[in-house]
Amino acid sequence: MARESFDKEIQFLRMLALTSGAYSRQQFADRLGISVHTFDKTMRRLKEIAGTAWQQPKEEQSLPLAELLRSSYYESADPVLLFLFRSKSVKESESIRLSQIIIALQRESLTAAEVLQQCCDGMPEDMAMPDEKTIRSDLKYLEGTGVIRKESGSRPHRYTADNRFITELSDAELSDLYAFIDVMANTQIPSVQGYLLRDSLKKTLKQRSIPESSFLYKYHYHSRILDESHLYTILKAIRERKKLSFLYFTPKAPQSYGSKNTNPLFERESEGRQHTTLPLRVAYDHQYGRWYMLCHSSRQGIAIYRMEGLTQLQESTAVEETEFEQKLQALQQKIRFSWLVDTGRTVTVKARFYHPEGSASNFIRERVRLQGQWGTVTEESDQTFIYEISVNGTMEIKPWLRSFGSSCEVLEPRSLRQEFIEEWKELAAGYEPVRENL
Amino acid sequence: MSLFEKIYNYQMIARLEDAEAVAVTAQEREWLSAMLRRPEAEHAFSPSTLVKLRSLMNRDGDRAIDESEHIAEEILEKAASLTGQLYHPLLRPLREALTNRLGLQLTYAVKDGSVRMRQHGYPYKLEYSMVKREWYLLWFHLRRRCVMVTKLQNIAEAAEALIPAQQAEAAEKKMTAYYASKQQQAVIQIIPQFNRELSRILYAFSCFDKEVSYEESTDTYRITLIYLRDESDFVLSRIRFLGKRILVTEGDYLRKRMYEAAQKSLMRYGITP
Repeated sequence: MARESFDKEIQFLRMLALTSGAYSRQQFADRLGISVHTFDKTMRRLKEIAGTAWQQPKEEQSLPLAELLRSSYYESADPVLLFLFRSKSVKESESIRLSQIIIALQRESLTAAEVLQQCCDGMPEDMAMPDEKTIRSDLKYLEGTGVIRKESGSRPHRYTADNRFITELSDAELSDLYAFIDVMANTQIPSVQGYLLRDSLKKTLKQRSIPESSFLYKYHYHSRILDESHLYTILKAIRERKKLSFLYFTPKAPQSYGSKNTNPLFERESEGRQHTTLPLRVAYDHQYGRWYMLCHSSRQGIAIYRMEGLTQLQESTAVEETEFEQKLQALQQKIRFSWLVDTGRTVTVKARFYHPEGSASNFIRERVRLQGQWGTVTEESDQTFIYEISVNGTMEIKPWLRSFGSSCEVLEPRSLRQEFIEEWKELAAGYEPVRENL
Repeated sequence: MSLFEKIYNYQMIARLEDAEAVAVTAQEREWLSAMLRRPEAEHAFSPSTLVKLRSLMNRDGDRAIDESEHIAEEILEKAASLTGQLYHPLLRPLREALTNRLGLQLTYAVKDGSVRMRQHGYPYKLEYSMVKREWYLLWFHLRRRCVMVTKLQNIAEAAEALIPAQQAEAAEKKMTAYYASKQQQAVIQIIPQFNRELSRILYAFSCFDKEVSYEESTDTYRITLIYLRDESDFVLSRIRFLGKRILVTEGDYLRKRMYEAAQKSLMRYGITP
């Protein structure tokens, strides 16, 4: 069987989460570069996974997937898109066998022969009984994932599912652990493993009738966890100094995925472009909740890709350590003053900020302190202060400065000041009150 | 190991749950042990639980250490807000009061710096703002009968206090009704000439409850945002963030505020509209 790729599902869910219900089936399929038939099939499959993974009440299961994603936004800290990571396909017989093994090893340690016996006892009547060789390879797989471990001691080896960090905790301790995992998974990156663990613990809490107290997290970028699916492939390549090749769809293109057709009759020119580059670092942008891959490419030098545009990611050749080090240093030098990832010319941006009028707390000052990165603040008068920063280009910092509205006046560079004046003029015109006496 | 594993498959997980079994992979444990090594963990557990947890993690996940320290090095976080105290020491006791539906006696500072002593209240929710990097307690003030939002940072003391079940229930109802009544809606149109930036714009609004519509004949996208009245200021900062790429077409208050901001900004630059 060909290696299962989840590119389609990832692009599919991202589009669904971002555009929640904007497109018809045909429009949606066109933008993904798939047929309406494939669209329907994918939708059905994702709904089935979401339905099983979330265990929602029956009446909700009939809702369209876009609605389901939306309805979970508030009142719940459950990451709505986590079910993507539950979509690896497994044959039914294998799924029954693997779960039988894990269940058998929960409370006691067993040898392979004993596991085989228990599995045979637990298999449904109409299914073929597993043989010892199959069980041994299952045990090997599970040991590899860390779900079970081999106990030390003489042969025959005994296996156990080691969950002592859960089973040895009191109810109060488990409740604290759940809260901790919840907070860390929701506020730190990477987070998918934390969310998966949170899912398991949530079920344990339920079984032990411990009330689950969840916190609320406001202003989360829900689709950020989709990009973590590429993260480990990239981190591995970085560690092994290997190049990666992939088909890249820039987010500015109207299409974001291309089906890989095996039948040449139906083959379409895909709009993505094939790239091979050496990954050096990964960046997460907190302003939008987006991920970037920072690379060196032989054609263009430093190359920066949005992770959401990467598909068909594959490892390629490795480079020498010295070459990697040299490229990495060049990158670090270039992005030292990037507000996000801009590698353009460094300029000094200077802005005057105005304290809020008639407010006891100086929230402008506080926001500049929290979000102003490495910029410096100098007091100017009792109503104003000056913020100064050396930054690569003005493109990336501009939206942040503009978000302060009339509390921020750009002083330098002059060109940026002029841009702000022009833009505020346009905005003033756009928001001019409509006169109704016509 | 990949994040797409057979072991995470949805049918597998459902089977395990039915049998009350748990499957935790090495990478999940590695993630947890990396988190347990962070200073935040000190505030999340009693000292003895933390010792116990750390030793339990050490027993089974030694290879974690190198790998997770690597992760920190290879991932750069950009434009993040400074985080004060992520795991506030009051989180544990307040969470307990919340789950056990207890009342509270709170001493806290208000905006002008003055302190309110031992006020009786009923906790509703603990909320973390990813933008301000700050915890808030949403609670009901029993004597003044009003909804309160207090930064954990401003709470000097929180003691549990008994509250009659009836009063707790009434407070909870009041809070739910209050938040439902504060729902606002606004429509934001993406100016078609900026459709190439659609992805960026949608990302910027992806932290809100929203619905998007698309009109093919004019190639126009409209975002209907649903938010609470107290969030207007944050919504506005997002709108200013995107500037001329978008236009609020429905939402008088937001439009008025945007107009004022533009006028006032122009005055800052010495331009009289």
